[in-house]
Amino acid sequence: MTSPFTAVLDVLTRQRGVRASLIVSERDGVIVDSSLRVGVDGDRIAALAASLYRKARLSAHAAQLGAVSFLQLDAERGRICAVGGGGDLVIVVVTDPQANVGLIRMELLKAFESVA
Amino acid sequence: MADDIRRWSDELARDPSSLVFLHLGEALRRQGQLEVALKIALRGLERHQRNVAAHDLVARIAVDRRDFPRAFVEWELVLRIEPDHIGAMKGLGYLCFHQGRVEEAEQYLNKAAAGGAGSDVKNALNMLRRTSGGVPLSAVESAVAAPTPVSDRQYLFADQLLDEAQTALLLDATGYVLAGVYLDGDGNNVSSDVGAQLSGISDEVRRAARQLDLGDWKAITFETHAAVFAMAPVVQDNLIVIAASRATPLGLLRRLLERCGAFAADWLAGTTPENK
Repeated sequence: MTSPFTAVLDVLTRQRGVRASLIVSERDGVIVDSSLRVGVDGDRIAALAASLYRKARLSAHAAQLGAVSFLQLDAERGRICAVGGGGDLVIVVVTDPQANVGLIRMELLKAFESVA
Repeated sequence: MADDIRRWSDELARDPSSLVFLHLGEALRRQGQLEVALKIALRGLERHQRNVAAHDLVARIAVDRRDFPRAFVEWELVLRIEPDHIGAMKGLGYLCFHQGRVEEAEQYLNKAAAGGAGSDVKNALNMLRRTSGGVPLSAVESAVAAPTPVSDRQYLFADQLLDEAQTALLLDATGYVLAGVYLDGDGNNVSSDVGAQLSGISDEVRRAARQLDLGDWKAITFETHAAVFAMAPVVQDNLIVIAASRATPLGLLRRLLERCGAFAADWLAGTTPENK
């Protein structure tokens, strides 16, 4: 099944080290569309990444720092990157620790422009 | 001390916009080189006009030079920018006392004591109350002479950062500020608000990293329309937060985060010169 987001997600998933790319609803943490490696739990990523992005957005807003456009979490065994822009949709990518984040960030911002 | 002064002078010569003038001016003041200290402080103040520590430094140098009207003006400016500044309250208390305005002196010292000033202020205040103003001037003066530790902690990361638009905050596990300062566009100190809000993200980060089997989190970076931020855990669930202008490359931001994180860890362990 293809959706209007399939092509955007495919571009992201083709980047080296990307395990999963998803478009999620920030409000309720559910998947709108996704492209996942075999064995990756998309629902769990969607729920947690949406919650993380939402928390960052609310905290930044409360601290009067403006709207969050890009977020990157680095952990021992991987990374989560997310872009959003005030609406409900957030694009999330989960990568290996060695992935080229600069490139992925660029593709994410480009993808968000085409989705928004 | 002489080595420090030489190092800070070199640094200031290399980068006249550096906040190191605060350390240099204070060191020269303590050595009694008041005219040089004043020159350094005023030059720094020209570049950092809303920097409370700079105004505080000029005020303390002015007191040492017995230029009380200037000290008064500078500390009043400090309180206008940062109403809770303990050093300025102590200073104004001293100046009022010096001019025989005992009631006003008591008010300032009361506020300083309520804001967490040290035992020296409380002792001076107790003497003031017991003696209805008959306290020796030296007792109040000594309370003012000591630099305010809170103010020093605010500028703990000044040497680690590259320009004034970058700020660093060290937060404890509950979101309270341990060191560093965050000023908004108007120069107001909003460290507590920003610290409390941003520290809340770390719980969410921990949860996400654990449940997605990503291991311990190392850092989180995010861009807003106003600035870029990076945050990382430091020993015992403390957090270091770096903020910089939106134009700052994310790679540079991460380097600053690592540098300030390492410095904060040393400071918490009591191994930096600032802690001795």
